[in-house]
Amino acid sequence: MSFRKTLLITAFVVLGGITLLHGALNLGWFAPRATTASGAARDKFRVGFLPVTCHLTCPVTDFINKQTTGGSNFDPVRFHGWPELKEAYLSGYTPVTFILAPMAIALREQGVPIKIVYLGHREGGDVMVHKDSGIYRTEDLRGKTVAVPGRYANHRLIFYRELKKAGMKLSDVNLVEMPPPDMPAALYSRSVDAITSGEPFPGQTEMDGYGRALYRVKEVWPGFISCVLAVHEDVIKNRRAEVQALVDGIAKSGKWLDANMTNRVDAAQFVSKFYYNQHPRLLEFVLSKPPDRVIYSNLKPLRANFEEIEQLAKEAGILQGTAHFDDYVDTSFAPEDDAVQPHPYATAQR
Amino acid sequence: MPRPALRTAHATTLLSFALPVGVGVMFLLGWHAAVRISGSDLFPTPVEVGRGLLELARQGLLLKYVVASLFRVSWGFALAVAVGVPAGLLLGWYSRGFQAFNPMIQIFRPISPIAWIPVAILWFGVTDAAPIFLIFLASVFPITVSSIAAVQNMQPVYLRAAQNFGLSRGELFRQVILRASLPQIITGIRIALGVAWLVVVAAEMIAVNSGLGYLIIDARNAGKRYDLVVAGMVMIGVIGLVLDLLVRQLEKFDEVRWGYARR
Repeated sequence: MSFRKTLLITAFVVLGGITLLHGALNLGWFAPRATTASGAARDKFRVGFLPVTCHLTCPVTDFINKQTTGGSNFDPVRFHGWPELKEAYLSGYTPVTFILAPMAIALREQGVPIKIVYLGHREGGDVMVHKDSGIYRTEDLRGKTVAVPGRYANHRLIFYRELKKAGMKLSDVNLVEMPPPDMPAALYSRSVDAITSGEPFPGQTEMDGYGRALYRVKEVWPGFISCVLAVHEDVIKNRRAEVQALVDGIAKSGKWLDANMTNRVDAAQFVSKFYYNQHPRLLEFVLSKPPDRVIYSNLKPLRANFEEIEQLAKEAGILQGTAHFDDYVDTSFAPEDDAVQPHPYATAQR
Repeated sequence: MPRPALRTAHATTLLSFALPVGVGVMFLLGWHAAVRISGSDLFPTPVEVGRGLLELARQGLLLKYVVASLFRVSWGFALAVAVGVPAGLLLGWYSRGFQAFNPMIQIFRPISPIAWIPVAILWFGVTDAAPIFLIFLASVFPITVSSIAAVQNMQPVYLRAAQNFGLSRGELFRQVILRASLPQIITGIRIALGVAWLVVVAAEMIAVNSGLGYLIIDARNAGKRYDLVVAGMVMIGVIGLVLDLLVRQLEKFDEVRWGYARR
């Protein structure tokens, strides 16, 4: 066979073959379309999230929807880091996303049509140091290296607040930005002296026995907010009913998670397995030890909370202070906390 | 008893097999010893990595991920060849075109695919098109540049001979220029395939949910699963070796072989 013919045939076979295989194995081209039988299913919006406990209600809602009604009214899309999650939102790929509150506010300041409609959680997260380090107070961190998730992370803000309380400045410590999944290994190898982020990564250092909590977020800032559910303004305008259904589902999931420990343990199992791909023991640990490490009730956005975040973020130099509560929050979807009933879903049903 | 000549042939084959395997075994032993001596319980030993690979294979994930990565690399790379080779041939032949476009090519060439990630997400969302675009970008420039160089470095004697035969422009391109530059283009393609496969991890950092790059990033999320991180690295390396062996088969064709002088 001639060179040219071989080349063309090989290219054709390789491209065709690998495309068919990829379609069959990863894209479900040949799978029976039983679950997406309804016409509306095509048009579900995608919701961005990260595999952290701050976004736990996203997979929990999706899972319970699928278990109880046979299908979910949205498609959860998992990201690995904040930049990709934010870019997918900006591109319109995920018109709804879980996102850091200060990041959402900063996007609003920069003219992005984004509205916070609900909170993801309250509390959760710690500042962890190595158990053998001599660090027992915030003051001991002077001159030390501290890993934070990024400029817009609320955990950086709360750390700033604690430094301020101790009479210190951000420049008194050596802050490094690091993706939270890399933090446990960094603390283990003691290449950083302290780490702070949302769960489960600080919890992991505790579970594996080399991390010690300098303080838990909830001890120093009760009701602390880090991640929120944010929606593109066009979606709010054009698809109100669907956004409302999503918020209601998430509110119910929050209540369901806070209803009892059985639900939390159950959630740790199915979220680890089907959504986060982490060890179930890890999620179970951070959801149960202590049981209120992260809480998922009282998630209506409140003006006072956000004004505090705004003020602090402005002082810390990450926000301009040009966007205010009414610019970036739409409270019309959020139910009052007392009115929210947990999902009637229980482990025993399965 | 085999004749001496045959015995040497046997020995050569055996040696060409035994040498790389020996180096591989030494490497694995050294790796194992290093982990044991340092007492690290984060970094996995080769055995743990092997177990991680088995676990992935049993779950059916290994095949899925390999296929997903190969799919993205195949398309990104095929597009790069389809664009890079013709563009390189043209720019190599028309010196005005080369003058016009070369600075632009040299500006784009050193930009890492990682820097393109935000752009890829903004343009393509997190579909398969985004990593394919990144792989295309990474491999199109080495192909273009080597094709340009192949034409520019062609021996003038071929052209003069062609002119003496009075070849038309189309014939000249197909029968002389393309053939004369093919060996060097293939070398460029081989390098580019390596680069394309190299960037698969970066390209799959976008929230696609399959692939060997995804495996590595996902394993970082999963807590202490560094065995899977290294398993992903091992698979990328082994498949890279296989791909290179396959592309080298092209060198067996007469059209290509004449350009390689074997020592």
